[in-house]
Amino acid sequence: MNWNMLIFLYLAFAMSFSSFLAIISRNPVHAVLWVLVMILHQAFLLYTLGSEFLTAVQIIVYAGAVLVLFLFVVYMINLRKEERWKVFVRRSSYGFIIFLFFLYFFFKNLAFLTALGPAFKAQLPYDLSQGSNLLWMARYLYSHYLFQFEVIGCILLVVIFGAVFLLRKLKEVG
Amino acid sequence: MDFNSLYIILSALVLFLLAMFHVAYLTYAERKIIARMQQRLGPNRVGPRGILQPIADVLKLIQKEDIIHPGVDKPVFVMAPLISLVCAASGLAFIPLWENFVLSNLNVGLLFILALSSLSAYGVILSGWASNSRYSFLGALRASAQVISYEIAMSLSLLSVVLMAGSFNLQDIVKAQLSTPYKVYLIPQIVAFFVFMVSALAETNRVPFDLPEAETELVAGYFTEYSGIRFALFYLAEYFGMIVMSALAVTCFLGGYAGPFEIPGIPFFWFLIKIYAFLFFYIWVRATLPRYRYDQLMGLGWKVLIPLSLLNLLVTAFIKLLI
Repeated sequence: MNWNMLIFLYLAFAMSFSSFLAIISRNPVHAVLWVLVMILHQAFLLYTLGSEFLTAVQIIVYAGAVLVLFLFVVYMINLRKEERWKVFVRRSSYGFIIFLFFLYFFFKNLAFLTALGPAFKAQLPYDLSQGSNLLWMARYLYSHYLFQFEVIGCILLVVIFGAVFLLRKLKEVG
Repeated sequence: MDFNSLYIILSALVLFLLAMFHVAYLTYAERKIIARMQQRLGPNRVGPRGILQPIADVLKLIQKEDIIHPGVDKPVFVMAPLISLVCAASGLAFIPLWENFVLSNLNVGLLFILALSSLSAYGVILSGWASNSRYSFLGALRASAQVISYEIAMSLSLLSVVLMAGSFNLQDIVKAQLSTPYKVYLIPQIVAFFVFMVSALAETNRVPFDLPEAETELVAGYFTEYSGIRFALFYLAEYFGMIVMSALAVTCFLGGYAGPFEIPGIPFFWFLIKIYAFLFFYIWVRATLPRYRYDQLMGLGWKVLIPLSLLNLLVTAFIKLLI
């Protein structure tokens, strides 16, 4: 058991535990905070895999923007009443069966992935000694995956137009 | 533990202590300078010319009672000032202080500083919510909206610097600046510099964008309910934020540690001088400008600064393409 393994085990445990806590938290703000803890651990996991860029993007986009907006939404609606409910959903115990189902698939796939482990490593399409991870990512993003990249950009543009349009409508009505 | 990691931990500790010292005397400098600008004397009782005032303040704040009133969400309330401080202070690790000294030489150091500054919004938001008080909550809502909006403008303005230098590494950015004819990016990127300075003021919640803690409207904003050492932590975080933002401005726009001539034995001399100039600017602005109205603040961010920095980015990209 070396350091890498220990760190990975800690991260895996912390991520699953904090997502579990996020689900069972009664207080929505606490739930969002547990998701934040999860995302930070995820970012660190990406860092241990040698991708500093993805770490930074993960923190900026998910922790810094998306979750802050989640917090905003949680603040805006009054959830005090829900906190007093005994159960959120009736027959929630049926969910447990689905949970077991997923657990089964998880372990099945885990065995599958560990068998494939060395093969995955060999498939790395670039040589890290020839330049940093960031450099290679930029090269692939703007050559090999350029079309997908532009499509995603267009989709995001449409989303922005949609948001502006909805706001205009609201202003005209009210 | 090998020698290398011990060295890194020690230098981190020294850097942190030095920064703490700077924070303490920044508060003193701020009070003294603003006093001069307002025809007053400022602190002058503790020690000669009040030079020991920050130490007295720290001692006082440590001795004060730590009030946690029963309505608060205790774990979040306790955590919030620590989040603020850690996020504000760790940015210093990526700044190259002199030619071969940077605590953590990451190839995406600039992005990490932006990530930390976006995380520091949590300290503000959570403290406001956990305090369970109207003033704090309003301050927190204002702060989060403001920090999120101005972060975009700041990132975009820094992106044009990255485009010119061709690297996210702050050390490389400084070196790229030194190889240009002007030695600084301030002249070719004057628009980006302007946008960066305005958003840096907003990011650190300083006057004229200090709406989250507007004393005249919201008591003290998000840290109204804090007292003693926890209050001090928020204060520390604000001043740390100022220092990190100044250091970032120096590194990205003013050529970092380089100066017109070398001072033997003190490699960080020019870096400190430039940082002091920026900190003086912060204080000067505070003494000069009135506070913005909230809708004006959002309007300035979204309708002026973000389009301006986008345009600047576009122009930079075109010029880079042509040359």
